[in-house]
Amino acid sequence: MSRNVLEKLMHQLCVDRTVKQRFKEDPDGLLARYALSDEERAMVTGFDVAGMQKHGVNPMLTLGFWTENAPNRHPAAYMKALRGAAAEGQVFSAGLKQ
Amino acid sequence: MGKIVGGFLVPHDPVMFVAPEAPAEDIRKRMWGAFDTCAERLAGLEATSVVIIGADHYFNFGTGCLPQYLIGTGDVDGPLDVLPGLKRQIIPTSEKLAGFIADHGHANGFDWAVARAFTVDHAVAIPDRLIVDPVRARGQSIGTIPVYIAAGVDPFIRMKRAIELGGAIKAAVEAMPDDARVVVIGSGGISHWVGTPEMGKVNEAFDREIMDYACTGNLAAIQGLSDDYILDNGGNGGMEIRQWAVAMGAMPGARGEIIDYAPVREWVTGLGFVQLFA
Repeated sequence: MSRNVLEKLMHQLCVDRTVKQRFKEDPDGLLARYALSDEERAMVTGFDVAGMQKHGVNPMLTLGFWTENAPNRHPAAYMKALRGAAAEGQVFSAGLKQ
Repeated sequence: MGKIVGGFLVPHDPVMFVAPEAPAEDIRKRMWGAFDTCAERLAGLEATSVVIIGADHYFNFGTGCLPQYLIGTGDVDGPLDVLPGLKRQIIPTSEKLAGFIADHGHANGFDWAVARAFTVDHAVAIPDRLIVDPVRARGQSIGTIPVYIAAGVDPFIRMKRAIELGGAIKAAVEAMPDDARVVVIGSGGISHWVGTPEMGKVNEAFDREIMDYACTGNLAAIQGLSDDYILDNGGNGGMEIRQWAVAMGAMPGARGEIIDYAPVREWVTGLGFVQLFA
């Protein structure tokens, strides 16, 4: 069950500065070290937080992953990615960092 | 012999620090003020130690080790997740009592995981900073003992076990040869959805149900809540009522009083403050 591997990677991308930097500089090289399917790798590089949650990944990790690594870290962008383009309104995030 | 002299059930909402101005002024004044009230009342209890029960947010612990319950028996600092206005600092401890609680548990069927040097996250750091630190500033010497339970990451600690864990803390405190005066603080909840599509939703009906159980000391009702019910009505963050259950389990029969409550969508949480009377 690669939910576990995804969660391991998500956790490292929340807390480990070295892994975060590697993800930024060489995502394919980093992800090659993890037993992920092509579909799962695409979820990570595409910041598909909705897909990862459907895959069973803990929402606290998808939120942390987004706020630490996404090109647009704003909570509203996270909610839009999660809910789809219909998401509206101001959103304040319980993200650990802003 | 030690004694549990009181308890508090409080939120640990990081968004209060990230977006302090987001709610209406009267609401934010009331919520910050509720922490001040807790501090004022803690000062009156003349505690020597506080046990703060928090939950991991998949931050302290990773996939390599997910303890059901853990106690910090040595050096403590925090928070790990520094926030605006909540910088990392050393937290005074009660190492002797913390070690005694762990040892007493190990001898009585509670296999505590132990952290000898632990950097807590906001779950423990927020109540420590807002409730305990102001009392220390008055000159009272209070050590903090952090307890972490699995309420944010599955497999979740069973509610029955959370209540029993509170009982184990009580039993250890009362078996302690020293005259420790201990306050338990259940840190978490009430309804909130963290990182899910519903984030920002608050369910006041659920929050009031839980506060009612807390104020009437209704451990049976808390224990009877299924995980599906909690997740549907209180969100994944609502699972943190397990921290309340530990504190209530440490004070069986105790009645409580609501200090304040507000459903604060801007802070994505139903913020409930309850005092438990020994």
